Amino acid sequence: MSTDQATTTATTTVRTPEEVREWLTERVAYFLDVTPQDIASDALLVEIGLDSVYALTLCGDVEEQFGIVVEATLAWDHPTVDALTTHIHAQIADPR
Amino acid sequence: MTPTAPAPTTGRPSTADLEVVLGDPHDPANPLGLHAVLAADERAELLPEGERALGDWGLNAEFVPARLGGRLTDIERLMHVMRAVSRRDPTLALGYGFTNYISGSAMWTSGSPAQQRRMADILLAGGRTAAAYNELPHGNDFTRTDLTATPDGGRLLLDGHKQVVNNIGRADAVVLLARTGEGPGNRSHSHVFVDFTEGHAGRVRRDERFPTAGLRGCLIGGAEFTAFPVPADAHIGPVGGAMETVLRAFQTTRAVAPGMMAGAFDTILRTVTRFTLERRLYGRRVADLPHARATLVAAYADLLAADALTTVSCRALHVLPDQTSVLTAANKYLAPKLLHRASRDLGAILSANSFLRDGSYAIFQKFARDLPAITFAHANASVCLATMLPQLPRMAAASWGIAEQPSAGLFRLDAPLGEIDYQALELTARGADRLTATLGHPGVAELLPDAAARLVALFRADLADLRERCLALRPTDTSVMAGRAGYVLADRYAHLAAASACLGIWVHNQHAADPFLTSPHWLTAALARLATRLGHAAVLPPETEAVLFDSLTGSDTPLSLTRT
Repeated sequence: MSTDQATTTATTTVRTPEEVREWLTERVAYFLDVTPQDIASDALLVEIGLDSVYALTLCGDVEEQFGIVVEATLAWDHPTVDALTTHIHAQIADPR
Repeated sequence: MTPTAPAPTTGRPSTADLEVVLGDPHDPANPLGLHAVLAADERAELLPEGERALGDWGLNAEFVPARLGGRLTDIERLMHVMRAVSRRDPTLALGYGFTNYISGSAMWTSGSPAQQRRMADILLAGGRTAAAYNELPHGNDFTRTDLTATPDGGRLLLDGHKQVVNNIGRADAVVLLARTGEGPGNRSHSHVFVDFTEGHAGRVRRDERFPTAGLRGCLIGGAEFTAFPVPADAHIGPVGGAMETVLRAFQTTRAVAPGMMAGAFDTILRTVTRFTLERRLYGRRVADLPHARATLVAAYADLLAADALTTVSCRALHVLPDQTSVLTAANKYLAPKLLHRASRDLGAILSANSFLRDGSYAIFQKFARDLPAITFAHANASVCLATMLPQLPRMAAASWGIAEQPSAGLFRLDAPLGEIDYQALELTARGADRLTATLGHPGVAELLPDAAARLVALFRADLADLRERCLALRPTDTSVMAGRAGYVLADRYAHLAAASACLGIWVHNQHAADPFLTSPHWLTAALARLATRLGHAAVLPPETEAVLFDSLTGSDTPLSLTRT
């Protein structure tokens, strides 16, 4: 991997799973132009309208928000807010 | 990038050798000449002598990695080979060959050693492999693919239909995209390798043919599978992994395919140039009429701009493999567009002759029909724009105006590239974009003549403006439902990438022996064409027009920044 990937300005404060979940839910709601209350944390993102383009954009946002590097396939392998939360929180706790 | 073995270049024929095999294009007695190519098109047939000659030359070996016994090392060479074939006949380039590479690219990216060996053996023995992605109801939307591969005991059963697939009717094997999971998600599809030599011919119909307006000789067909059995390990790469394979492998095909268009366009431009030199109007040659001359030079400049973008895209796969997801899409979008528009302008010079299927300039109408067909084949313009757009805001924030200069190896045409490493290609650029940093190359203003320096300053300002506009995009503006405003930004980005490629090639090849390559005139002309398309007023200096016209009419060698 090249060195010129976007350097992140994320804070290094420890995030709780709840904080990660809340941020993700707000982000997904923003993409889909709905309120966070409309996003069930166990709903398959692809089924509520988060297409592959949004999924890609979400990866970039996650990297910048949490200061971690994720695969572009993140939302394919962790297809709900719950699954994403678990995966991202684990990576924040133990970055590669 | 993982280190790769040095290229086994000894004994490997060059594109110049291929030109010798193809012979004199204008000799009516040459069985591979343009007369024969035109006659085969009239019969809607792939030129049989052409297929034989390319087979004897070993074109298939160009699609097989050197580690498997083939001649494929770097993607730039592959592009030049395909360009040379396409210069003679785009139908042969796709119909004999490029389909073998499209299917090969998925295999070389993700296939098991045994699968790769089998595919290499088929190709090296002169066989054919097809790439079956398309299903007519879903177009380029691969995630809607309906053909299924279902486990059944110790095997998989294929059921469904593929349509508009080149060579499917006569392929020895096919790489096909199959549904292996429910729903529209990106983990629901897998590539499956189908070796037709293993039998079960009664479970597949392959006799459908789709007649086409361009590339008429290509054997574009369909296949209908009914409980067709393949081994349980026929998946290429992990089950559900097709999209990752596609996103890597197709970066290489998107780098190469516009080179095939450049080859076809070369012959179009040569044909129209010959007309303007032979035809006399108002007591002088058509070439001496200012409008005709300006159109020829503009078309040549478009070709050089497309050439620079395509060449740098191929090189970037080796030099900046983390940044080519956007660049190769920009290449597949813009280079065909530049060439297609220029071919229409050239057709206006030929006027009635652009429609005649007989006579000295009849090859024009065949190539003019073939050219746009290559555009649709394999990732159309909308798909490429939709690939670029969502990545632009992050590139704007992380790179534009602040990224480091790319290394000279991105542009130096004599710098070796080694063997392509498909796994090094990243699915997204993560905001990285060194290519456009070239517009801010230090000291460049002093090196360039005024006309070119002014254009580079315009492009730099354009990039700064594009940065603001991309940073203001909301996520909904970048989705497939994006309005025209978003796509306009991706179009502008592609032009700036092309301008950067032109500038980089000029700056980093000043040591070259070719006086055309080192002269600032081609650069000025190519940049002026790109600037015009971005809405700037850019007039060519008379000396620049004269130098390009002389280059165009001075010899019959291939029109390219790379002289082989």
